[in-house]
Amino acid sequence: MEDNQPQEKPVTQMETQSPVMEKILPAIHIKMDNQKQVTSGTTQDKATCNRCGIISSKEFSFFYGNTCGVKNISMDIYPCMVTAIIGPSGCGKSTFLRSINRMNDLIPHTRAKGRLEVNGINVYDKRTNLVNLRQQVGMVFQKPNPFAKSIFDNVAYGPRLQGIRKKSDLESLVEQCLKDAAIWDEVKDNLNKSALALSGGQQQRLCIARALATRPKLLLMDEPCSALDPLATTRIEDLIEQLKKFYTIVIVTHNMQQAARVSEWTAFFCLGELIEYDKTTRLFTKPGKKQTEDYITGRFG
Amino acid sequence: MKIGYRQAFDKTFTITAGLSVFLMVMALVIILGPMLSRGSKAVFFRGTVEFRKMQLAIFNHGSSDQVQAETARVEKAREPVYELLENFQIGIDVELLTDKTREIYRELGQQLRQMDVDRETYAAIRAKAKDIRDTLSDILESTDKDYVNQGIEVILKLSDDPDFKNTVAEQFFPLARMYGENVKNIDLTQRDQYIAALEEVKDALRKLFGPLPGESTPPMPKDRYGATRWDTAQQSLHQLLWAQAWVETKPGESLEKISVRRDDPQKGQFAGTSLEPLFSLVENNLDDMLQPEFTIYWRYFLDDWVNSHYFGGVGSEIIGTLLLTLLSMMFAVPLGVISAAYLVECADENMVVKIIRTCVNTLAGVPSIVFGLFGLAFFVLFLFPRLNMPSKPCILSAALTLSILVLPVIIRASEEAIKSVPQTYKEASLSLGAGRFRTFVTVTLPAALPGILTGIILSLGRAAGETAPILFTGAVAMGPQPKSLFDGVKTLSYSSLDIATGDRLAMMAPHKQYGVIMTLIILVLCLNILAIIIRWRVAKKLRGY
Amino acid sequence: MESSGTPNHMIDLSSSAAEFNRPLLLTPGEDLKGYILGHVGRWSLFTITSASVLAVLLIFIFVIREALPFLTQFSLTEFLTSTRWYPEGTPHEFGALALISGSLYVTLGALILAVPLGLSAAVFLSDIAPFKVQQICKPIIEILAAIPSVAYGFFAILVLAPWMQKNLHFSTGANTLNAAVILAIMALPTIISVAEDSLSAIGRDIREASYGLGATRAETMLKVVIPEAHSGIIAAVILGMMRAIGETMVVWMASGNATQIPSPWWDLSQSVRTMTATIAGDMGETPKGSDHYHALYAIGFLLLIFTFSLNLVSEYFLSRVRKAKGR
Repeated sequence: MEDNQPQEKPVTQMETQSPVMEKILPAIHIKMDNQKQVTSGTTQDKATCNRCGIISSKEFSFFYGNTCGVKNISMDIYPCMVTAIIGPSGCGKSTFLRSINRMNDLIPHTRAKGRLEVNGINVYDKRTNLVNLRQQVGMVFQKPNPFAKSIFDNVAYGPRLQGIRKKSDLESLVEQCLKDAAIWDEVKDNLNKSALALSGGQQQRLCIARALATRPKLLLMDEPCSALDPLATTRIEDLIEQLKKFYTIVIVTHNMQQAARVSEWTAFFCLGELIEYDKTTRLFTKPGKKQTEDYITGRFG
Repeated sequence: MKIGYRQAFDKTFTITAGLSVFLMVMALVIILGPMLSRGSKAVFFRGTVEFRKMQLAIFNHGSSDQVQAETARVEKAREPVYELLENFQIGIDVELLTDKTREIYRELGQQLRQMDVDRETYAAIRAKAKDIRDTLSDILESTDKDYVNQGIEVILKLSDDPDFKNTVAEQFFPLARMYGENVKNIDLTQRDQYIAALEEVKDALRKLFGPLPGESTPPMPKDRYGATRWDTAQQSLHQLLWAQAWVETKPGESLEKISVRRDDPQKGQFAGTSLEPLFSLVENNLDDMLQPEFTIYWRYFLDDWVNSHYFGGVGSEIIGTLLLTLLSMMFAVPLGVISAAYLVECADENMVVKIIRTCVNTLAGVPSIVFGLFGLAFFVLFLFPRLNMPSKPCILSAALTLSILVLPVIIRASEEAIKSVPQTYKEASLSLGAGRFRTFVTVTLPAALPGILTGIILSLGRAAGETAPILFTGAVAMGPQPKSLFDGVKTLSYSSLDIATGDRLAMMAPHKQYGVIMTLIILVLCLNILAIIIRWRVAKKLRGY
Repeated sequence: MESSGTPNHMIDLSSSAAEFNRPLLLTPGEDLKGYILGHVGRWSLFTITSASVLAVLLIFIFVIREALPFLTQFSLTEFLTSTRWYPEGTPHEFGALALISGSLYVTLGALILAVPLGLSAAVFLSDIAPFKVQQICKPIIEILAAIPSVAYGFFAILVLAPWMQKNLHFSTGANTLNAAVILAIMALPTIISVAEDSLSAIGRDIREASYGLGATRAETMLKVVIPEAHSGIIAAVILGMMRAIGETMVVWMASGNATQIPSPWWDLSQSVRTMTATIAGDMGETPKGSDHYHALYAIGFLLLIFTFSLNLVSEYFLSRVRKAKGR
């Protein structure tokens, strides 16, 4: 499960972490004065990464049996930004998203063509380490899907898979993730209650906390607000705002306002093809293609 | 067609359909009703003192002081009955009387020798006593009433004889007097009939109160006690009071069989005899003589049976059934659940899986008796000898046979349960980096568990109720509890069969017959209701989600 | 948001955001390990799953193995056409026709009673009954199916048989009619549930189309829905038939066990003896390895073939139902 690659050993100047955490999650550390560093870090990253995407798809196509889910997608998704994928229903946006962490494997009779690279490695390679891939590419689903376990066990599920067994480590980790997902205050008193007892919005934030607990680099969100009421949607969007400082987020949504609100980059899919991919501000104000304009202005879809 | 006809036809159709469901429900009620209500009598009944005596003696349940006190009380109440019986017997049972006379005569001889009387007196007294004895024997054999009365007079005249003072011979006179009294109202030519009828009465009394005083303890436990239950006591009372008689209802026509009370003043068997008061005495004081009390015999489900279910309970059958079904589940559950997991999670819909599915369906359709044949041929006669195990029907072979029988049930139920776990659960787990195996064990299996459990409980009920597969693979009707895997096992299902068709003793105790089947039905119904409740709660939980 | 969003606790990954600290590719060793483990797991699971296949094979092999000495020594035609079943006589005679006809008698008798009743009950449950009634009826059907067959047999011989003797003036209470009635009740749950499933599988649209043309419910059901659902209904009847023909305890206890073909043929008050009852009744008293013993296995084999072919037919019809459902 764990690996200790020496070249990736981080600058260890941590104050709060236990030695076990240090061993198991070497790349994770907490900075007390991160606010300043983050801002500087992001700008720098944006500059470097505009050239190379953390996800880069090259002529990627995906088939369900004989029908085509997406075809010939070529795009780069940049780190530490929110990328939104919009488009009418059935346009393949979810298919593309679920291909990134190979969630589509569950569906029988599917196959992929072309390259879909995460961090420079084709995920549809035979030798892909699915466990590591999925651990580092977290996913939040359309409908909140907490396990029928306690809130604590839900969040601790991922870390436990990675071999963290010590109670105190798990507790601090769960607390952190719940705080990151902005749900700690609501559930801190009854962590042992069943997760199914929470409201829909709370469940979805719990699912986000659960996804964060595996320390992903990428967070895939598949219409995370479609099953929620407007108030819960606002909270999730605020959360995305917070999270994008630290995670690369890809969000699929059919709500254009949402895409405009939360994302920096937006891709427009239609009928399995990528029509346009640009900075959100530009795409929504000066779309380059007629199709995009029609969709944005509500003439079809 | 006119619209009126069409509507009438529609109504008829609806009513017919509703009626058929109603019929089905009625069938269930009609079938379960008698078996449950009659079976419940094995547990809820009015138990008599005989029941408590039996419980104390056989199972050592109850307080012995209380039972002794009760016994003393009922014996006092029964005393007059036995007295009446004995007195009447003297008049009627000639052999008994003859024996008694001879004995008195013999004892007299011994007494005289001890008394040191001289030879002549001895001879005179003996001669006189011999006379009495012979006269008595004569009149006992005679059917002529006048002759009898004369003889008795002759004997009684001798009662003042000083020679007999203070000797055993004095006993002759009350005997003779009593005989005279008894014979007064008896038609002596019908004496044989009286003897036969008396046997019937004695039999009925034995059934009511247990062995008569002075009789030796019978070998069968069931004969050692009288009516243990108030309802059987009523039956025995009827047997005591009423006699079957062939009566000429109309002159010249054939005889008709009717029931007549034995003490009926006109036609009764014992009308006018000294036994006559016995019947009303028993009838009116049966409560005192048996002391019935409402009893809940919950130990029925724990006690072993006695005299092939005549007394006792079904404890050993329940234990046998549980042993057998649990053992068979130990084989069937892992196999079934793993098979279902493979069929749902791993297998693509190819030819091999199709064959497996067809086989599961075939297995579900094989007649249960063929499972029995297979179990006998394969496990008992083929496999066991080759594994150096005893080649005889036993609990192991029965359990293995049953496990194959319930395998398709478990596979189907588990498959449904695993399929019904939402895909999103699995996706969530996979997206957190769990492997397929991990996902199945930590997420899918717990979520499917209630469904799998339901299937297991249902097949538990099925295994408990099946009889045909264990007929020749390990079920026995009698015998001790199995001590190893290679002993036969008593089960509720097999005992139900045995007790309904083969067991003559059990037929005398219908409440016990129905009790066994009631226990089986209750066991199976409880398992089913448990399954229904689990399913209902899961459905509720899913709705809440 | 601000209240809980304490950035102090946020985990900063920005420095390594572009870098994945866990290798996304398997090392060759891991790859091999995964490959081997996966295959070992798959194959062991497959082996366990094929236990049911093995069971079916073993059942066939061992029943045939024990039946073979009989089938080779005695004439099969006599076995199938003679009514003289004297296994202990000299010479032995093994004519199973009366037993086969006995099985058919009680089975067909049961079907004649159970099919109309079961179908109309299924129609009631699928189309007429309100939801509440359905919720009550489902458990009742389940309980009807769950009652052990020996309990049905017990009822037949101790309750129904005396009743028949007394009220219908039959010479014996244990007769064909008795067995058929009880078998019908036992086959009902199977017939109802399978038929109801196939009726519900016919969608609302077809019903609505018929109602829309002004048909009454009876006409809709009889002319549209039931013809549409015929595959499932045939499967229901066959499954009910399998349940009846394979049943042992009830027929053994209730049918009277007289090896004869009733004459006149319609007289259901006469006793018959079925194949299953013969096996159950005779096997206990037969020495292992005798002709009689092998003859009983031959009957068992006959039963197995009966039910197996019925099963294949029902599978065919059920697969058609599933196809229709998937359409």
